[in-house]
Amino acid sequence: MKLGTTVNGYLVTSRPCNDDAGKCVWAFAERAGKPYFIKRFLEPKRPRPDSTASTRSQELRMQECAEFERRHLQVGGLLRQRHGEPGSGNLVIPLDFFVVGSTYYKVTEKVEVAEQGPETFDAQHKLVLLRTLGLSLRLLHAIGVVHGDLKPTNVLIERKPASAAFHPAKLIDFDDAYVSGEPPPPGVVGGDQLFGSPEWLRYMKEDPRVRRRDLTVRSDMFSMGLMTHHYLTQRLPSHDPAFGSPAEAVAEGAPLEFDPRLAAPMRELLGALASTDPRARPDIDEFLSTVKDTQLCELGPGAVPGAPGRAAGERASGGTPAASARPSRLRMTSFGTPTPPVPPTPKPSSPPARGSRLHINLGDDRP
Amino acid sequence: MSGTDQYRGQSPDQYRGSLRYAVDIVMCIDATASMGPVLEEVKRSALNFPARLEADMAQKHKAISRLRLKVIAFRDFADHADDALQESDFFVMPGEADKFEAFVRGLSPVGGGDVPESGLEALALAIRAPWERGLDRRRHVIVMFTDAPAHPLGTPDARAAHTYPAGLPLDGDALLEEWGYARSQQALMENSAKRLVLFAPDATPWKEISEEWNMTILFPSTAGQGLEEFEMGEIINTIGNSI
Repeated sequence: MKLGTTVNGYLVTSRPCNDDAGKCVWAFAERAGKPYFIKRFLEPKRPRPDSTASTRSQELRMQECAEFERRHLQVGGLLRQRHGEPGSGNLVIPLDFFVVGSTYYKVTEKVEVAEQGPETFDAQHKLVLLRTLGLSLRLLHAIGVVHGDLKPTNVLIERKPASAAFHPAKLIDFDDAYVSGEPPPPGVVGGDQLFGSPEWLRYMKEDPRVRRRDLTVRSDMFSMGLMTHHYLTQRLPSHDPAFGSPAEAVAEGAPLEFDPRLAAPMRELLGALASTDPRARPDIDEFLSTVKDTQLCELGPGAVPGAPGRAAGERASGGTPAASARPSRLRMTSFGTPTPPVPPTPKPSSPPARGSRLHINLGDDRP
Repeated sequence: MSGTDQYRGQSPDQYRGSLRYAVDIVMCIDATASMGPVLEEVKRSALNFPARLEADMAQKHKAISRLRLKVIAFRDFADHADDALQESDFFVMPGEADKFEAFVRGLSPVGGGDVPESGLEALALAIRAPWERGLDRRRHVIVMFTDAPAHPLGTPDARAAHTYPAGLPLDGDALLEEWGYARSQQALMENSAKRLVLFAPDATPWKEISEEWNMTILFPSTAGQGLEEFEMGEIINTIGNSI
């Protein structure tokens, strides 16, 4: 994949890079005049048609590919089941998944991101951000899918015309998603050290007390609580500096300290979301039923809390938290002046309004 | 003694309790004469790399518990066997920064003759490096800097050289098996930890390797461009984005 080349009909229009990417290279592309985001996976790799490797080697690699395809098609299929429901437009799901040569590619819509980040939002816009994100997560959790890597860099703020009332949050990157209770092995499972949950952390460390079935949609809810605190205060909750992350602190029974400027009901919600026991965390419906008031997203008077070394999400020298400091696709230009409406809570699920837009080409021309 | 045990004896871990991350990087550097215009830039960037990585990780509020660097300089066995390979140990940073610096500064662009060069032998040695196996998570990165294609592994001329390393894979298929894949049974690299970043021409064998090997990224280079800011960022991305 190179700038100016065409991959399966997609003309690559930007220099491929690995910014914010762990196991892929990505670029922007165009097809039939429409812009897209295209991702080239670093694994698995199919044996080349002219491979001289042993039969066993080729078989093993093809088995990996079959498992990879199965997982992506499973999650993609579940996502598409709900496509067309209210809020589903904010899930940036795969539109195309194909293989060229040895390599897999995935294509999604290109999100035109806003110029400024959530740190510039007022309480009303933060409420819209949290609710649109929550609605996306509700769709995911309703079909039993864990996003698995919730963090600010996987939430894009879509740029809308200046006259638009609000700028919705787009949830991206389902490459680490898995069916609730069925995560990949510890060495493979995705996630983020700062925004991950305590059970995810223990699973990664292969703690025998954590089983696969313990990693559920409630793991996402821990991350959602941290993201909510981050969006509202530009920082993560504080904790004993002996611990490297909120998950580590919670796993060891150390309390998180939430910004005292937050409204009491919000601090109560965040405290529940940070529970050590996943079952004690509110689910996404409870989150949405609580986070529906602009006042809940306002900060009261008072000093910014947290002595140096105590705030996991704040730079030692101050400034923008790292999680929102990416070179980024996360930008916002300006807001419209009208009061943004709060997206309504969607009714119980209805059949998808449109058919699948996912096109599969897995190299049927291969021998 | 595991890598973890070694580390405990050398430096306190300020991030005790959190996930402890080990990063090993092997830089394979083409030190043939044709690299002369850019070798100094590569060296300078290599020397600046630890500080740049540390700053990037600090900005992301993430920490590397143990960072080690190793250099393999290569030329061409068929041209001049005596200095076809120069291999350092792993240097633990920042404690052994002076040793790393001395090794890198000692590299000079000589020999090589015509292309191709012995880049695959350097890659094979890198795969066989004594990678860290301890701590909670690991990232093992091989970075290749070259402006030339490479000989196939084990050409008769190369194997005839008295300095040719013993036991290297006999061909590209065997090298791929040592690099491995998720279900491979002969891999020397840890699949979830490894990355191969190629700053190399879009030519044999680098083009084929980037296509068929997993966890591999090719950034096609043009001779004379050096390791500039962009490339530094690509390498750091391979480390920082997945911690």
